Amino acid sequence: MRTGHRFTRGLGVALCSFALLATGAHAQGTQAPIRIGSTLALTGPLAATALVHKVVGEIYVEQLNKRGGLLGRPVEWIVRDDQSKPELARTLYEQLLTVDKVDLLMGPYATGAILSAMSVAQRYDKVLIHHTFGIPSLAKYDKQFPAWSLGPDPANTVPTTVFTALAASPKPPKTIAVVTSKFPSVHFMSLGAREVAKKRGLNEVLFLEWDFGNLDYGPIAARIKDAKPDFLWVGALGLEGNQLLEAMNKIDYAPAEHFYMYPAPGPMSKSPLAKNALSMTMFEEHPPFTNAAGAKEFIDLYHERAAKAGIPDTSVEVQAAASYTAWQILEAAVRGTNSIDDAKMAAWLKANRVETIQGKLRFDGPSNYGDDLMRVKQVQNGRWVTVYPKEYAAPGATLLVQ
Amino acid sequence: MPFLHLPAFYESFLYIVFHWIVLATSWNILSGYSGYFSFGHGAFFGAGVYTTAVLAGKYDVPFLWTLPAAALVAALLGLGLGAVVFRVRHVRGELFALLTLAATFVLATIVLNTPIDGGPGVYLSAVPVPKLAPTPSGSFYMMALVLAIGTIAIAYAIARARLGLGLFAIHDDEDAAEVMGVPAYRYKLVAFGVSCALAGVAGGIQALFVSYVTANGTFNITVPLTVVLMSVLGGTRSWIGPAIGATAITILLYATTAADQAVAGKAVVGAVLVAAILLMPEGILGRTFARRGRGVPPASSASPVPVHTDAVVAAIESPSAAAERTVLLAVRGVAKSFKGVRALDGVDLDVREGEVLGVIGPNGSGKSTLINVVSGHFRADAGSARFGGVDLLALPAHRIARAGVARTYQIPRPFAHLTVRDNVALAAMFGGTALDPRHAAEVALHWLQFTGLAARADAYPGDLNLHQAKFLELARGLAARPRLLMLDEVLSGLTPAEIDGAIDLILRIRAQGTTIVLVEHVMRVVTALAERIVVLDQGRVLAEGRTADVMARPDVAVAYLGVPHA
Amino acid sequence: MTFPSGTLLAQSALSGVFIGSMYGLLGMGLGLAWGLLHIINLAHFGFAFLAAYLCYQLASVGGIDPLLTLALIIPLFFALGMAVQWLLSRFSVSPLNSLLATFGLTAIIEAGIQYFWTADFRKLESVYSGQKLRVGGLFVPVPELLTLVLALVLGFSIWAAMRYTNLGRALRALAEDAPMAAAFGVNRRAHALLLAGVCGALAGIAGVCLALSFTLTPSQIYAWVGVVFAAVMLGGLGSPLGPVAAGMVVGVSEAVTMAFASPSWAPIVSFSLLIALLLLRPGRT
Repeated sequence: MRTGHRFTRGLGVALCSFALLATGAHAQGTQAPIRIGSTLALTGPLAATALVHKVVGEIYVEQLNKRGGLLGRPVEWIVRDDQSKPELARTLYEQLLTVDKVDLLMGPYATGAILSAMSVAQRYDKVLIHHTFGIPSLAKYDKQFPAWSLGPDPANTVPTTVFTALAASPKPPKTIAVVTSKFPSVHFMSLGAREVAKKRGLNEVLFLEWDFGNLDYGPIAARIKDAKPDFLWVGALGLEGNQLLEAMNKIDYAPAEHFYMYPAPGPMSKSPLAKNALSMTMFEEHPPFTNAAGAKEFIDLYHERAAKAGIPDTSVEVQAAASYTAWQILEAAVRGTNSIDDAKMAAWLKANRVETIQGKLRFDGPSNYGDDLMRVKQVQNGRWVTVYPKEYAAPGATLLVQ
Repeated sequence: MPFLHLPAFYESFLYIVFHWIVLATSWNILSGYSGYFSFGHGAFFGAGVYTTAVLAGKYDVPFLWTLPAAALVAALLGLGLGAVVFRVRHVRGELFALLTLAATFVLATIVLNTPIDGGPGVYLSAVPVPKLAPTPSGSFYMMALVLAIGTIAIAYAIARARLGLGLFAIHDDEDAAEVMGVPAYRYKLVAFGVSCALAGVAGGIQALFVSYVTANGTFNITVPLTVVLMSVLGGTRSWIGPAIGATAITILLYATTAADQAVAGKAVVGAVLVAAILLMPEGILGRTFARRGRGVPPASSASPVPVHTDAVVAAIESPSAAAERTVLLAVRGVAKSFKGVRALDGVDLDVREGEVLGVIGPNGSGKSTLINVVSGHFRADAGSARFGGVDLLALPAHRIARAGVARTYQIPRPFAHLTVRDNVALAAMFGGTALDPRHAAEVALHWLQFTGLAARADAYPGDLNLHQAKFLELARGLAARPRLLMLDEVLSGLTPAEIDGAIDLILRIRAQGTTIVLVEHVMRVVTALAERIVVLDQGRVLAEGRTADVMARPDVAVAYLGVPHA
Repeated sequence: MTFPSGTLLAQSALSGVFIGSMYGLLGMGLGLAWGLLHIINLAHFGFAFLAAYLCYQLASVGGIDPLLTLALIIPLFFALGMAVQWLLSRFSVSPLNSLLATFGLTAIIEAGIQYFWTADFRKLESVYSGQKLRVGGLFVPVPELLTLVLALVLGFSIWAAMRYTNLGRALRALAEDAPMAAAFGVNRRAHALLLAGVCGALAGIAGVCLALSFTLTPSQIYAWVGVVFAAVMLGGLGSPLGPVAAGMVVGVSEAVTMAFASPSWAPIVSFSLLIALLLLRPGRT
């Protein structure tokens, strides 16, 4: 009978599917995903850079799952938008921990949000690995671990690196101007630069501070031009550096040597005015950095995904590298302790070194900071290339002077 | 709720909701109630943030002690600003908004460039959170809850008290409010001080909540703009409106934090706001808070029916006193110019107790200006007006009302957003009688009955026709039982039948012992009501004396009609 | 604090004039709408940035001369301005509510911009970018000069139109007493739509100037709100040139301060000056 046929067939299919599902479910039973939670400033003033971190996180988690996940379990990344507001970041981290009940945390974007996340992590005794913290002296929680390798005293070490590089260049500067925004994470570095310059016998001909959010850089540019420094240190965050360059260009002034603390990397390298601009990095798209394990693969993937996300400049540089490093640290801690126990992970990290695309990182210094891994990079022919120290410089690249 | 041991996230989320409730409600106390829109709420919030940050973060003052300090600093800042700004008469509307916005920039710059912050921000991680609940999130939740309840309670209390009614009156017509006895300057300052203090405390708590305070993060355009939006969305005339708006917007902003919808979420929030305000123009609460009056059918053409109808005629002969009465108001040498035009050029006249003094004169002769000056609506340039031993011209407008002087406006100036009853009650509260709100409401009803408007007590002035509006002016003028009532062309625009009713009313007013100054154009009324009249011409008194005598004078006829050519 | 040279001072002041003219150009449409239409249009900033991004797109990707993009942008934003006005008047939105509604609209525009162009910084490199004139010892960059010229020309033209043409008189009458003006035959809706269209076009023009001189990112929409509102309120609502003048007061006072002292003190000078001006000016009531 037809109906009977259909019935039997249907039953057979149902039974088979059920059997498959059952085995599948059995397989899933031990495969509850490890959930990692974080926020990013996906909207608001900080959104430009946060997108980089979103892309990198997605790449990393995808690669991680291809390799079998962590501890044999798939990894799931839950990310929320903190709208560039630290108080929202705090609340969202609490939500991630107490409502979503994530297993592990990853840090958010930028110092303010990281501090909020840190206070929550502290209360719940969770490890917090973060990629973009700018003020090491404020990182007082013992289970936080930085991927932005500034070292514990960057206000001293970073300018020292820069000035040493300059001293080794064909035209060491004798006079210096320090101009800086009063944004916390750049301001203290600029003050450190003044100190280091003084110690090294450089003559400071100009010191200016402006309010972050300033729209008119004309007078500042005019004063710089008037002071005629050999070297210009610009404590700039984001597009401030570009705005200052444009203002200087408008009055026909090109600084002989110039350094920018945290520029927007793409716009700066692409700007014809930023010729020979210096900045800091611990990773660029050339050897020896690209020799690190997994680096090349990451770079290719990032090019593809960043382009898809609409990011104008798809090269991997310090932001993307710091993000990737943070995930590497997290993975290393889990593998190293074969657990997701935060106390164990923290102890392991402090006692061990982690191999990352930045190099071997350690976390046994003050505030869990290790070495200052910042190198000097320069815009040459529309690209960032590392120029100092020599071991990290791009093949054949040296610090160019005007 | 900490006692229910809900996940900490809910406590933190509720903290944020309460935080915005406090900011929006406190903003509304000045700006919503009185209409003085402040774009500077961020300054006082920031003052509180930094007071706590500096005291607790840099000087180790126990956190809870920093909160009253934060309130004080913010309040002092607000009072200092208000003391200067509220004195300047033309600073209203958008100028006040601009001033408060500018104050924010100034304060932000000072904080950024002095050791208060100086650039690096203030770190509060080491400051212990007071143990008001088992967890820190719970403690913040408790503090914010207490503050929110307190703020709403204060907003409610103010709305119900004389201060609130005075502020609402200032919102609709500050000058008229002053003339009716509302001490506008003082009230605005009090409201501003309270508003700033509450914002300061909210700031203090927020400083510890975020635990890292930067000038940039504190003093940006977000706070001032957001509190305006929240209050307007909820309803600025209500004590609970801002809280509702704050809750709605916070939830809305929070609902869109899932990563893949972050950008789209922002667009959705925007769209919801647009739809909300287009469809709910009076705010979420605007409709529900509408009083019964809104449903009342538009003004009928029927005249108000006074409760008593005495015979009109008998009262013309003033009760017995043909003899001289005491002088109630002695006006000497009053002058007032407006940009070169001399409206009053040395006016001398006497108003006798218990009489009806008519004041007539051609257009532009200064009749209304005289009333405006005596009632305090304008400041006189020179002269005196002695009333019961005090020179009225030396008093601020609201004291003049207290002294027992009331006036009506030729073009009625009721408070558009207050009911008819509240309009009258206001006069009873702030005039010579200075009643409390409950008594004032009863008195208001009495006077509404007297003028025949009792049926419209819960209507709004916009629903009244001209006749009713004029009688509302009368009721307001009477509610404080003034010794002197000045009527500025109260009959203009009325039909002959309506005029008869008005005459009747005026006589009954006089019968109660109120002295009346009657500025009028309708001659038959003046001659019918006034025993004595004063004729003004070009800002000076042309004639003063018994009605019949003055009307017979040729120069008076000339002033009105011109030189006869026939 | 060393005394700056004359050139430095003059160059700084000039810089202040330029940024002030940008404040004024941005404020012009805002102030006209506020004063004459009683609409506080926060979306004006959103529109300006949208126009800036469109100019960027057409010029960078399409290779069109940025000034030529005005041919598309002016009519487009004229229409957008009219659309917003139509919507607001259809619902008889009060001035305060218009602030709320246009805030929502701005959020939508900002989200749209971020969706298409991401939040990353975009800088239009055009043939005008590096050009500058030398006047005396001073440098006059061409994009900024363009902004200044546009601000002044547009301001004067609108002022003259308001004053001397029937259309202008009708608009002013409408602003003062709409029912009365309507009684005299002024078509309220048509005139309001026209004016709103003009304000929209002004936003579009301001946007092109923004694209020529500034790096763009969506959150920068709000960076201008505070100071432009200040310029509009100081310069007078409904006045086309007022915001330009007030903007220059702010810009120059800040720039000169930056030439003398630490630039981070600049806002205190400009805003204290603003406060003083507001308190001391002769009353308007």
